[in-house]
Amino acid sequence: MIFDSYNAYRAANFKPKVCILGSGPAGTTVARKLGAAGIPVVVLEAGSREFSDESQDFYRGAKVGDFYFDLDITRLRYMGGSSNHWAGWCRVLDKLDFEPKVWAPDTGWPIRRTDIEPFLPEVRDILDLPEFRPDVPISDDIRWVQLIKSPAVRFAEKFADELDKSRNIAVVLNTYATELAGDGKTVTGARLWSNGQDAGTFSADYFITCTGGLENSRLLLWSNQRSNGGVVPNAAALGRYWMEHPTFEGGNAILANYDEFEVDAVNEAFFSPTLAAMQRLQIMNFGIRLIETPYAGVKRLIADLACTAPDAAEWAAYQLSQNLRCAAQLYVAWEQAPLASNQIELSKTDVDHAGVPRIELHWKKSELERRTLVEGLKLFGTTLIEKDLGRVRLMDWIANGEDYPTNEETAGHHHMGGTRMGTDLTRSVVDADCKVHGMDNLYVGGSSVFCTSGQANPTTTITALACRLGEHLSKVVAV
Amino acid sequence: MSFFIKKMPRRMIVQALVALPALSLFRKLPEADAGPSQVDQNEIVVVNGWILKRSDLA
Ligand SMILES: Cc1cc2nc3c(=O)[nH]c(=O)nc-3n(C[C@H](O)[C@H](O)[C@H](O)COP(=O)(O)OP(=O)(O)OC[C@H]3O[C@@H](n4cnc5c(N)ncnc54)[C@H](O)[C@@H]3O)c2cc1C
Repeated sequence: MIFDSYNAYRAANFKPKVCILGSGPAGTTVARKLGAAGIPVVVLEAGSREFSDESQDFYRGAKVGDFYFDLDITRLRYMGGSSNHWAGWCRVLDKLDFEPKVWAPDTGWPIRRTDIEPFLPEVRDILDLPEFRPDVPISDDIRWVQLIKSPAVRFAEKFADELDKSRNIAVVLNTYATELAGDGKTVTGARLWSNGQDAGTFSADYFITCTGGLENSRLLLWSNQRSNGGVVPNAAALGRYWMEHPTFEGGNAILANYDEFEVDAVNEAFFSPTLAAMQRLQIMNFGIRLIETPYAGVKRLIADLACTAPDAAEWAAYQLSQNLRCAAQLYVAWEQAPLASNQIELSKTDVDHAGVPRIELHWKKSELERRTLVEGLKLFGTTLIEKDLGRVRLMDWIANGEDYPTNEETAGHHHMGGTRMGTDLTRSVVDADCKVHGMDNLYVGGSSVFCTSGQANPTTTITALACRLGEHLSKVVAV
Repeated sequence: MSFFIKKMPRRMIVQALVALPALSLFRKLPEADAGPSQVDQNEIVVVNGWILKRSDLA
């Protein structure tokens, strides 16, 4: 069932056991799992069926630190959430992303990749993905990795009919959960805002916040403030360890003819480091996107190379007359080191139309990440030399140690951390089952639970974790 | 592209591009501490942003 207003929903007298906040990939996936298990579930969605400036305005916020996107641009507040404009690039986090790394504090998850692997066939159905293929090592240091360019499932579009027909799932649009109330053990209710006014309190046995990788922290910070710590009793890490995938053009490459890997339909291939290379260089994970460009780029690059290294240029010129494939642009996206100081705070001065403080996002890239960018490109360049595949040139700002440019991709719109998973109550917010520490009936879905970001786009892992949470809860609730 | 360039075979253009700026005046070679015989020609060096092996610089 889908209701366009909270009033219409109330009239239907539906009695849910579980209340999910948010209908993006995380919320919709958990709801479908619970609904399939015969558990009555309500999904409260702040936005409507379509984009509107009024709804989007609730997402405005402030940024402190490095250049970042406006917070009302980097996500969407209506049915289906940011899946309405995601690019559909899919990859599960690597096995090594779940392991602690001694050179990077606060890394490591309380679960392993094997804990989400059983859900990957379901994830493939949900996201319309082909088979995952294993990474292919091209040297001891570099793997050629698969990044699937999927059809970018719009969750509202794909599942609207199923949700509408479901007798166990009620999606209620235009219904904003402004805060949760709790007594330090259970959430007792959610305060609602609908049709531009307060709509009273909503109760259910279980609550799951799936409001996105920025909003989950905002909602819980505000709820906790209002209920004197009654919603997140162990709140030291709440809002903290927020992460993105910084993304910049890192350089160019001249490539010889080779068979080690194929480019995809849009002439792109992706590369990441091996664990051994990360360990040796003490860097984070990264992904190099190699985009083949036509011949014009080669000539410019070879001329440039000739100024520096005539022998290499000779080699390149020879390859060109043989089978030189082309030149390539190299984009790098990397894993951020989890830092407590990268955090979501509540604004002290600015509130939205419902009176909820807006977000103040504190975000800075670290030295370790800069090293990851530089060493990562060198690693890739060295591999191309060793395998006689080509030569790499760094962008000037990287070679000269200058500041990050502000006119580039910047980051992936991937909002991770803030309610991270863990066992240490001072460094995490939820446990391995995504349950808020100390609370009996409050769970979190989405990438805010990520302990580390890896280099892979997050939604495939979000969906796998949501399947796992749905399966876990269906057993808990059925008892 | 000018008529002149279009008429030239690609191989020739590239050879011209390669040869033209190969004056040592424009080349910033990283100093090797050891004498030429001891320099590791496979050593990775970064010159003008290029990630190269030393032998590329000859
Ligand atoms: C331009 C762009 C491109 C992207 N490309 C990719 C990509 O290629 N690959 C990839 O993996 N990821 C990509 N992403 C990220 C991807 O969109 C997100 O990871 C994903 O949408 C997160 O799902 P979610 O359900 O956790 O949150 P969201 O999609 O943000 O959904 C949250 C939902 O909660 C609702 N909501 C918020 N607050 C409340 C409240 N208080 N009460 C009730 N409802 C509320 C919102 O309206 C929204 O519907 C991209 C994102 C952007 C912006």
